[in-house]
Amino acid sequence: MAHAFRPRADGSFACRLEGEEKAVIVQVAQEVSDLVRLDLAVTEDSLAVRRAAASDDPLERLEAQFATHEAREPGDPAVRRLFPEASPDEALAAEFRRFGQQDLVAIKLEDLAALCESIDRTGPGTTEVSLTEDEAMHWLRALTTLRTVVADRLGVERDGDFETVRMLQQIGERVPEAAEGEDESSETAGGDVMIAIYELLSWLQESLIRVLEPF
Amino acid sequence: MSEHGTTPRSEGPSLLHAPSPDFAPSLAQTEGAPERSRSTGLQEREEAGTARPWRTVVWNDPINLMSYVVFVLQRYFGYSREHADVLMRRIHHEGRAIVSQGSRERVESDVQAMHSFGLHATMEQEGED
Repeated sequence: MAHAFRPRADGSFACRLEGEEKAVIVQVAQEVSDLVRLDLAVTEDSLAVRRAAASDDPLERLEAQFATHEAREPGDPAVRRLFPEASPDEALAAEFRRFGQQDLVAIKLEDLAALCESIDRTGPGTTEVSLTEDEAMHWLRALTTLRTVVADRLGVERDGDFETVRMLQQIGERVPEAAEGEDESSETAGGDVMIAIYELLSWLQESLIRVLEPF
Repeated sequence: MSEHGTTPRSEGPSLLHAPSPDFAPSLAQTEGAPERSRSTGLQEREEAGTARPWRTVVWNDPINLMSYVVFVLQRYFGYSREHADVLMRRIHHEGRAIVSQGSRERVESDVQAMHSFGLHATMEQEGED
């Protein structure tokens, strides 16, 4: 069973996770990472452009500046939640996407990669998972990304929907598949597991927020 | 926003076992956090000159934890805990809140930052609504 994050004397933050919990978090993170890459047609080239933009080499920065800005509109509803419209004005939203989405994709993928890396290095079985403050910030954002996708698959649209989904599960009913926007109805088959994952991710995030200082 | 998980237990929900009874958290680290308050964006009006200032709006969503929204507003904008809390409650109860304002460039980077934290933010110009 997972144990909450606690601060350590060396400034790091540690929690204890079971092997199965670590495995499921990494698996969900990889699936979400793949989903984003596929849906937005992310290539290694487009990620390299961002790295070049932050490079110390002025020539690399210049090249990045002239690289083409491509920003595919998200198709998957969960990816749309991760990369929402920045304005009700379509032209403004499109421009924002063109200049900002590539960076945002890179940030979210880096967050997920950092989450996986810090778990992977602990090896198998129940272990402590220890994070630097920098890694903790990656975790906070990555946990948000994962919760957003899982919530979408569970059909969470409004405040209180998750509690309803969980209650329906607890009383052994099927989630009504006629719910608005519920076009991935096949996902409800694994609803019990998804609910447990969502609760674990939420609990971990809350636990981490409690030990982190905002400044 | 979700209140789910606002009372973390020392032992988390397990995918494998039945939920454990609640335990009092062993380390209460959130109290007495140092606060660095900063002006809440009014000063940015000046840098926008005579043009209508732009505003960063954060919208309510059913996923983000209340504590996370407060944390992000404190962390990114440098707002005090009290101010971040007021904004979070406005987002939660009114569906949206203006969290910063200023030049278009400033608001663009604020919106981008909010998106990087997974909050749903939009930009608008004063007088649009």
